[in-house]
Amino acid sequence: MKQNTLGYKVKQYLMFAGPGTLLFLCVVIVPFIYGLYLTLTSWDGVSATKPFVGFANFASAFADGDYWSAMGRTVIYSVFAVILINIVAFALAYLVTMGIKGQNFFRAGFFVPNLIGGIVLGYVWKFVFNRAFVAIFNSTSLLSTTSGAMFCLILVSVWQYAGYMMLIYVAGFMSVSTEVKEAAMIDGCTPTQAMWNVTIPLMRSSFVQCIFLSITRCFVVYDVNLSLTNGEPFGSSVMAAMHVYNQAFTYKNYGLGQAEALILFIVCAIVGVTQVMVGKKGEVEA
Amino acid sequence: MKKKLIAGVLAAGMTLALAACGGNSGGGDSAGGGSSSGGTAITIFNSKMEIQSQMEEMAKKYSAEKGVNVEVYYSSDTVAAHMSTRYASNEPYTIAMVDAKDIYSLGPEHAIDLAGEQWVGNTTQAITVGGKVLGFPVCVEARGVIYNADAIKNVTGKDFNPDSIRTTADFQAIVDELIAGGMAAPTGVMKEDWSLGAHYLAQVYEEHADPDAFIAGIKDGSIKLADDDVYNKLMDTFDILKDNNYAKASAISAEREVTEQKLAEGELAFMFGGNWDWDVINAYNYSENMGMMAVPSDLGDYNTKLVGGGSKYFYIDNGVSAEQQQAGKDFLNWLVFETAGQEFLVNDCNLVPAFSNITLAVSNPLGASVKAYADKGALTPNYTYLPDDHYAKNGASFQKYLTGQIDRAGLADEITAYWATAEVGAH
Repeated sequence: MKQNTLGYKVKQYLMFAGPGTLLFLCVVIVPFIYGLYLTLTSWDGVSATKPFVGFANFASAFADGDYWSAMGRTVIYSVFAVILINIVAFALAYLVTMGIKGQNFFRAGFFVPNLIGGIVLGYVWKFVFNRAFVAIFNSTSLLSTTSGAMFCLILVSVWQYAGYMMLIYVAGFMSVSTEVKEAAMIDGCTPTQAMWNVTIPLMRSSFVQCIFLSITRCFVVYDVNLSLTNGEPFGSSVMAAMHVYNQAFTYKNYGLGQAEALILFIVCAIVGVTQVMVGKKGEVEA
Repeated sequence: MKKKLIAGVLAAGMTLALAACGGNSGGGDSAGGGSSSGGTAITIFNSKMEIQSQMEEMAKKYSAEKGVNVEVYYSSDTVAAHMSTRYASNEPYTIAMVDAKDIYSLGPEHAIDLAGEQWVGNTTQAITVGGKVLGFPVCVEARGVIYNADAIKNVTGKDFNPDSIRTTADFQAIVDELIAGGMAAPTGVMKEDWSLGAHYLAQVYEEHADPDAFIAGIKDGSIKLADDDVYNKLMDTFDILKDNNYAKASAISAEREVTEQKLAEGELAFMFGGNWDWDVINAYNYSENMGMMAVPSDLGDYNTKLVGGGSKYFYIDNGVSAEQQQAGKDFLNWLVFETAGQEFLVNDCNLVPAFSNITLAVSNPLGASVKAYADKGALTPNYTYLPDDHYAKNGASFQKYLTGQIDRAGLADEITAYWATAEVGAH
């Protein structure tokens, strides 16, 4: 039996990847394309008819001031959250790979917040901000001011994701062999210089991965947003994803919500892909 | 060769299994659970979270007694959002409990006409759209000021008579008296956008003789909201609630549960709310004498009435089989005409019935107040045609007012700006 004919290859593909491909088509590609179609209708989400309106939804989406202020807020939130998540995660990873006593225990401990779902986590922190901090410091709640609510969202996201990103950085640290570091030290590097000039460049792929993951997650944040602030005070902490949900389901403008979701997806994809491309360019091997 | 055959069969089998998973969403009769042995199976969607356990209990009993398999579902999503996902997956409920506005938006397309039913003559709250009776009122709910008479008596030493508080001045006087007597902050304000936007602000429309004309006036600029008499008088009352709020410094982070606990336990005397708040107050060590009174204001007549009416409506879906529709109708009749059904509504669920033939006494004090007002005919009807985003957007503006970020004119401006593009629902 020949193994390089097209028929053979197709059969092989179908046999091994067929079910996976079918599943992927059914739950990702088809809904995505159907979603694209819905952006061209003024469907309200319940009605049996889906009137075709062309690109009117995109025009409304670009004119929707609330959407763009939510988007702006999301960008600000993402910038702060991504930077802080990665700094904290890197620092934690550094600490738990130094060989301190019980470092595996600490690794597990820092990872735990990631195991708690975003909804639960939001409620837990809401209690902390609204009751515990208020009682301890005898002050008003941070969640009651617009900048305070943003600060809380960023803080909770950092707390949630830092442990997860830490694991990737830990893997990065472990992949840099001690020989290279020792060689650098023998050549006269201080530990700081070794870190900056040897370890970090060799860990570049970890940074690319972590930043990509944190950017994409921050851009579409919804669960923590819902349970921690629910967009309050006065709608000043509504992130893009929450606005899209409200637009589509609560305000019953499904087509418009879908169009706004598509724009959010495109923005998120552009930022994520650009970051990966820029990051990959400078990767080095030992 | 044999191996190849087995592999092929396996792959085909897996693909088939997948196709089967995706294929059964058609058809309308996908009532959850497989126990359809004997009798019809119907599904009920419940959107009142506080009665979910009672509903489930009732479904078991009803199924056993009537030989109809009843399944009750609940979703914490907004009603509109949940119904849209159900219709999108082509799985309509036999009976769905929705808000009044949803009857107008979903009803004409999805609900069957109930005009021939006997209960129609026993209620004034059914919803009729285009000559067809589409909505069955589950209960009566009303808004007003909840008071704690025991807390007031403790401070003033006199029995509290809610009928003595009519005007803004009366309200201010009793609040001042309470403060003088040592109650530091006699009022609580719920900061939730639905409470401010959908409940308090909505009164501004509802306490106009013709809300449609009033909103049209705001839209075309012929009515200036900031100068409107009803708006200003209601805001005068709101200012008293706001200025004496126990959480004045951080009004926006006051949690509903905490506020209602304080009210229940007598730390506060007044809070704007509705009889649904009983389900929260109920959870605490509440005072014996509580009740609801009309929102005090200088608006003649309106200050003797609660605002409310039928709330939560059942409709029967036209996408289910004829047997299911009939079973649905039987269920509605059971609620209205059979003792077990009446007791379920009034005693188990603590609801105020919307039917004149149900004479069971409502045991919870807030419900009892509402029933008393309803029996007197002292209810200002709900204006149920506000757009879906009205409560969220204007609620956010109202929150700004609550925290002092904008003043009364600023709030009027934001509401007017909202109405520039918003449209009331068709009716």
